[in-house]
Amino acid sequence: MNPGYPIRMHKKPVFPQSSLVLGWRQDLGNLGRKVTDYLNRKLGGEEFAGVEPEDFFPLDGVAIEDNVARFPESKFYACQEHELVVFQSDSPGAEWYRFLNLVLEMAEQHCRVREVYVLGAMISFSAHTTPRQLLAVVNTTGMKEVLSQYDLAGDVDYQTQPGERPTLNSFLLWIARKRNIPGVSLWVPIPFYLAAMEDAQARKKVLSFLDERLNLRIDFSDLDHEVVKQNEQLARARSRIPQINEYISRLESNLMLSEEENGELITRIEDFLREGG
Amino acid sequence: MGIRYYQEPQLQNPILVASWPGIGNIGIIAIDTLRGALEAEEFAEIEPWDFFYPKGVLIKKGVLQHLEFPGSRFYFKKMKENDILFFIGEEQPTEMGRMYAEGRRAYGMANLVLDVAEKLGCRRVYTSGAAVALIHHTAQPRVWAVPNTRSLLAEVKGYDNTVLMSDIEGRGGQGNITGLNGLLLGVARRRGLEAICLMGEIPVYLQGLAVSYPRASKAVLEVISRRLGIEINMDNLDELDRKVQRKVEEFYQQIPLEIRGQLDRLKHVAYAQPAEPGPITQEEEKKIMEDVERFFKKRGGAD
Repeated sequence: MNPGYPIRMHKKPVFPQSSLVLGWRQDLGNLGRKVTDYLNRKLGGEEFAGVEPEDFFPLDGVAIEDNVARFPESKFYACQEHELVVFQSDSPGAEWYRFLNLVLEMAEQHCRVREVYVLGAMISFSAHTTPRQLLAVVNTTGMKEVLSQYDLAGDVDYQTQPGERPTLNSFLLWIARKRNIPGVSLWVPIPFYLAAMEDAQARKKVLSFLDERLNLRIDFSDLDHEVVKQNEQLARARSRIPQINEYISRLESNLMLSEEENGELITRIEDFLREGG
Repeated sequence: MGIRYYQEPQLQNPILVASWPGIGNIGIIAIDTLRGALEAEEFAEIEPWDFFYPKGVLIKKGVLQHLEFPGSRFYFKKMKENDILFFIGEEQPTEMGRMYAEGRRAYGMANLVLDVAEKLGCRRVYTSGAAVALIHHTAQPRVWAVPNTRSLLAEVKGYDNTVLMSDIEGRGGQGNITGLNGLLLGVARRRGLEAICLMGEIPVYLQGLAVSYPRASKAVLEVISRRLGIEINMDNLDELDRKVQRKVEEFYQQIPLEIRGQLDRLKHVAYAQPAEPGPITQEEEKKIMEDVERFFKKRGGAD
């Protein structure tokens, strides 16, 4: 690679062809990071390249996460046997077009990526007991047809509202289409009171789809255990704290909570889970 | 990073008039009003993706249809003597959460704008923006003018209702123009083009509000249109000004009485030359600035 080229490669993976899964670290419910970590762990993902941060991130100090200083990271992992490339990254703060193009260029030229899957989470005002849906936005009609056989909500209509901006995932899909790479942006709703924590059920929903679509044959028993544990913790929270139960019951009956009640539910759930549930 | 031309007009001694949004959108409203009044024709745009994060997406039945980016467009209008070239940037190419463009991308965009201007034979550039001033909102704003070469000073001194930085009390001819409306001046100088930035005054206590300030846009437009020998109907700007002034007055009444009392004194500010004693002393001016700053910090609305 040229000096000054912002991607450094430690190893050259050999893929006859592959699929790319991208997750952003600062996602709701830590979805992007957790799903990509899980794939790497289960499928033996090996880091083989990274993007140098200086052009894309505000290097004006370090962020502190869970008491530890951290630095922006953008890494590629190869799950060789499964013909899968995983990219996990902080969301860039500048030169988005160049950054996303670099990622796709790397995936195309060095890993022969044929399809792109980008992960996203969205806030849901439903209770955690409501089954998770997986929404899909594709960048070609061909991809829509291919995905029609899966359990996806694929008829999303959306237009950016005043004061909002499109997501990085939409930007990526658009660039992928310019490069003739079919892609899908996957969106899983996360109950608002779990958005700052984790949602094993949402993760399972996304991973199950990827498992089926990419024929990964993952043993989900550990994740199933996490889902059960999360549900048990939330059930305990409901039985011990009547206010939590009242609010969640109202959500289950499709009743909206006030802004203040939403805030109270978030605080109480987060406190309960942090204390070990 | 490039320019997309729809046509390449043949222009005679064109003058470039360029603006990007800034405080009170003073410059961009002035320039866009002029462009609209002259019915200037669009002929090119800067490809946006290297500069901007998209501003809109359209998804239909689960398929991404379209991604929309802020526009950076060129227009032209044939005139009797100097043809006019317009550049209107819908946004400044900011990044990392900053308010104004700076660094490599800002420099890149300024150069692209001037590439087009020079290609079409342009040797003179006007930009426009806001001058945050210690004035009252009931006052008629002046226009601060900053040329990019000393040889333009005499010309600028002849403009109506216009002052140089050295005419502003306490400035001593110094200051800075943030963002692309200023940077273009510097890049033009580097490329040997004459350029002048015209900045309409906005009261210091309005700079952090998300309102336009058409009164100052009108002041800028009057200077530019006179310089270009064009008569522009300002009725729309006057109407907009009346609406904005009503909103400003509502906001003004919410300012705590103690601070408002200080600001009321600005009504009596006559534009003093640096050597003359003004109706407000420097001490008092400092106090007003501190009070305003404190008020906006509390409100969370200041820049």
